Amino acid sequence: MSAAQPLFDLANDLIAAARALGAQEVSVSVGQSTTTSIQRRDGQVEEASSSIGKRLSLTLLVDDRWSSHGTSDLRPEALSAFVASAVEATRVLEPDPARRLAPASECGRGASEADLDHLDPAWAALSPDDRADAAQAIETALAAHRGPDTISTTCWFSDGHSDSVDVTSHGFADHSESAWFSTGGAVTLSDAEGRRPEGYAGYATRYRADLPGLDRIGAEAFLRAREAIGSGPAPSGRYTLILPGRVAGRILGTLMGPLSGGSIHHGRSCLADKLDTRIGSDLLHLVDDPTIPRGLGSEPWDGDLRVAQPRVVIEHGVLRTHYLSTYYARKLDRPVTTDGPSNWVLAAGDRSVEALAAEHPRAIVVSGFLGGNANGLTGDFSYGIRGTLLEHGAPVKQLSEMNVSGNLLTFFHKLIAVADDPWVYSSLRSPTLVFDDVAFSGT
Amino acid sequence: MNALRTAAIAHHFAAFGVDDPLVDAALATATAHGADFAELYFQHSTSTSLGLSDRAVNRCHTSVDLGVGVRVVIGDQVGYAWTEDLSRAAVLRAAATAAEIARGAGRPARTPGIARRAEPADFYPLARAWSDVSLQERLPLVRAWEAAAFARDPRVRKVQVSLGDGESRVYIARADGLRVGDFRPMTTASVACTIEDDAGRKETGHYNLAGRTDLAFYTPDRQDRLVTEAVDRAIKALDAGEAPAGELPVVMAAGSSGILLHEAIGHGLEADFNRKGTSIFADRMDTAIASPEVTLIDDATLPGARGSLNVDDEGNPTQRTTLVERGVLRSYLHDAISAAHYGVAPTGSGRRQGFRHAPLPRMRATYMEAGPHDPAEIIASVKRGLYCEDFANGQVQIGGGDFAFYVRFGYLIEDGRLTRPVKDVNLVGNGPKVLSTIDMVGHDLAIDEGGWTCGKDGQSVPVSQGMPTVRVASLSVGGGR
Repeated sequence: MSAAQPLFDLANDLIAAARALGAQEVSVSVGQSTTTSIQRRDGQVEEASSSIGKRLSLTLLVDDRWSSHGTSDLRPEALSAFVASAVEATRVLEPDPARRLAPASECGRGASEADLDHLDPAWAALSPDDRADAAQAIETALAAHRGPDTISTTCWFSDGHSDSVDVTSHGFADHSESAWFSTGGAVTLSDAEGRRPEGYAGYATRYRADLPGLDRIGAEAFLRAREAIGSGPAPSGRYTLILPGRVAGRILGTLMGPLSGGSIHHGRSCLADKLDTRIGSDLLHLVDDPTIPRGLGSEPWDGDLRVAQPRVVIEHGVLRTHYLSTYYARKLDRPVTTDGPSNWVLAAGDRSVEALAAEHPRAIVVSGFLGGNANGLTGDFSYGIRGTLLEHGAPVKQLSEMNVSGNLLTFFHKLIAVADDPWVYSSLRSPTLVFDDVAFSGT
Repeated sequence: MNALRTAAIAHHFAAFGVDDPLVDAALATATAHGADFAELYFQHSTSTSLGLSDRAVNRCHTSVDLGVGVRVVIGDQVGYAWTEDLSRAAVLRAAATAAEIARGAGRPARTPGIARRAEPADFYPLARAWSDVSLQERLPLVRAWEAAAFARDPRVRKVQVSLGDGESRVYIARADGLRVGDFRPMTTASVACTIEDDAGRKETGHYNLAGRTDLAFYTPDRQDRLVTEAVDRAIKALDAGEAPAGELPVVMAAGSSGILLHEAIGHGLEADFNRKGTSIFADRMDTAIASPEVTLIDDATLPGARGSLNVDDEGNPTQRTTLVERGVLRSYLHDAISAAHYGVAPTGSGRRQGFRHAPLPRMRATYMEAGPHDPAEIIASVKRGLYCEDFANGQVQIGGGDFAFYVRFGYLIEDGRLTRPVKDVNLVGNGPKVLSTIDMVGHDLAIDEGGWTCGKDGQSVPVSQGMPTVRVASLSVGGGR
C-alpha cells in the first residue's frame, strides 16, 4: 500500500458520506505536511520547531447550492458530524447554477511527478543533526561579515514536505508529493544617528542543492543593512526606476487581482476590457507556467483540477489571458482558462543590470518596499520604498522615507529594459526591470 | 465566570478527550530535560461564513481547527512542536520534540507544579454563542444589508456581503501548575459595492465591522453604518483625485487612524525586538520618545473589542498597559520570555495565531488618549496639508523606525479648510521623528470597530486601534502631483 492510500481512503469515505446525504457533486482534498525549522541568533539556537499536520477540505454541490469546508479534526465521529452539518448548511443557501465541477474529461495531470521534479530525495535523508549543522553553517557565514556596528544576526534553515490527494465524485483521483527548503539571514546594525538599519536575505527552493551558497546569504544580508545606513529622502520628481527581480513581485503582483475572474465579474478590475490590447511595452512578456521542473509554483493540476499547462498572459505587451475558473467562466459566459497564477516567468534580457544602470544619468534602484497598496479598479498604486540613487550607475545617496506611485495601465508602457538576471527563488521569476519616467515622492 | 463560557470549555475537553492525566504526562515529558517555562496550548476553533453576491446568498464556508502546541523555554531559547492529532501518543511525541531544545543544557528535569486553575476576567460577555445561531437566522441580515446598499444610491451596480463568526476554545496548561481556559468569540461583517455613474466612471467602496461579541452587536445603528459607509466611500472616491507628492503636514481623523500608532511605535515597543536590541526604541525606557501631547495605551480590556483578550496565549492575565505617558516611554509589551529578561511582570501581551505558532509580544487594542483640542480647530490650523480619513494597510521597519500606511481616502487641506478629495496614497515617515512632532491632539478619541488584523513573523492576530484627531507636522505623501 502506498503512503497515500490512507489519504485516498479518507477522501473516498467522505465523498460516499456526502453523497449518501444528498450531495450531487463532491470534491475532497486531503493533505498532510511536515515542517521543521531551526533559527539561530547571535551564537545559539533561538527557536527549534517541528510539526506534523493533516487537514482536509471539502466542496459540495447540493441541489445547485455550493459550499466549501475544511477541518483538521479527523476523528471518525467528528468527521461524520462535519459532513452532515456541511450538507445541511448548503441546503440553506440559494441556488448558484454556475457552480459545477470541471468536466471530468478536462481534469487530470499536466506534467508527471517526475517532470515536476518537486520532491528532493535528499529531503527524506535529512537528519536533525544535518539541520542543526546547516543552520550553524549559515551563522558562521554571517559572522564573517560582522563588524563593530553589528547589533544582531539571525539566520534560519527550514524544510518541509507535503503529501496530498484530490478526489472527486466524478472520478478524479490523484496524488502529489513535494518538498521545499528555505534559508536566509537577517542583520541589524547601529548607525551614528541611533537608528538600527536592517538587512534581510531569504531564499526558497524545491531542492536543497539549489539553495544559494552560504557566502551569498551572508554578503547579501549585510549589503542590504549597510545600504540603509544614513538613508533619507531625495527630492520628489520623476526618475528612472530600476526594479530588481527579488522585489519586483510587489508591483507585478498587483496585476494578479485585476486579472482574476472574480475581480472582473464583480466590476473591480482595470483590466476587464483590456484582453488583446496593449498594456505594456514589447519587453513585457509574461508566461504562466505550472510545469517548470522544481518550480515553487508548479502544480500537476489547477484549483479546479484541470490539467495544468503553460499559457502566455502578456505577449510582448499585449494582454492575452484573464484567469477564469470554471465558476467565473460560466458567470461571464467565456471560455475557461485556469483559476489562478502558478509560476510567473518574465522574459529576461541579455545585458547585465550594471550595464543598463550606467546608461541612465539618474536612476533609483528600489531594494525594498514599505507598505503601500493599489486600487484594482482604477489601477492607481502607491508604495513606500527604500533604495539607492544612482548617477550613471554609481551610487550617490541611500534612500528611505520615499514613495513610488503610478497607474498599472500606463506604468508598464514605461518598461524600457530587462536585465539578464532572473530571480529563481520565488514562483514569480522576474529579471531586473527598468522603467522610465516614474513618479517618486520624497522631500 | 460567564456560565456560557464555562460550559463551552467543559464541553470541549469532555468531547475531545484531553484529560488531566494526559496534560500532566505531556508536561512531564516537555520538562524532562529542564525548562524555565513550558506550556501546552490546546485549541479548538470553529468558524462559519455566509456570503452574498449576484443578489443571492450563494456561498458558505465552515472550518474546524483542532490541535495542541507545546513550548519549552530555556533562557531565551524556544523549542516548539505542534500536532493536530490529540491522541496520547501524538501529544507526548510533540512534547518530547519540543523538549529537545533543552537537551544538552545540563539542567535537571523540572517537576511540574501542582495544578491550580485560574479564572480569567470576562471582557467579552455573550448572551448567545454563535454556534446557537442558525444559518436561517443570519440570512435576513445579509439580505437586508444588500437591499439597503442598492437602495442607498441608484449608481450601485454590484453588492457583495459577508457575515462571519468564529468560536475558539483554548486551554493552557503550564509547567508552573497554572491551568486556564478561554472561550473567544469573533464576528465580522462586510459590505462591498461597485458603483458606476452615467459617464461610465466606476469605483468601489467597502466597510466592515468586527468584535468579540454576539449577534446583538448588529444593532440598527451599526447595520446602517455598515451599509452607508460602504456605499458612501465608493461615491466619495468617484470624485476624488490624485494626492500631492512630498512632505506635508497631516491631520489624522479620529478612529482608524490609530494605524499610525500601530506602525510608528506599537511594533517598536514589542519587547522581543527590544530584548534583541533590534528596535529603534531599545534602551529608551523612561526617556522622552514622543511629544508631551502623546499618551499611548495598549488595552486588552475593552468590552467586546476585536483586540480584547481575557487571558493571553501564555495564560497570563491581561490588562490596560500604559506604553507612553505624556511622551515618556513607560512600558514595553511583554511576553513571558521578555518579562523574565527585563525582570518585570508580564503585560498579558503574549499572543499567537493559534496552536501552530509560539507566542510573541503583540498589540491588542492600541490607542492614544484624548487631548484638549477641538477637531475643527486642528484642521483650521493647517495652511496646506492632507486630512486622512480611511485607511487600508501599514508596515514598519523596526530597526530604522521607518513606517508606512496606506490612505484610501482623504482631503487636501487648504487655508484651514477641507477642499479637494484625494484617494489611494501611501504615506511614509520615521517613527521617532513623527512622534516628536504630534503637536495637537483632539478631544474626540474613537476606537475603530473594523476588522483589523496584525501580521508579524508569519502570524496574524486580530487587533483594534483608535485615535483622536491629531496633527502631525510632516509625513512624506506618495501622490503624483
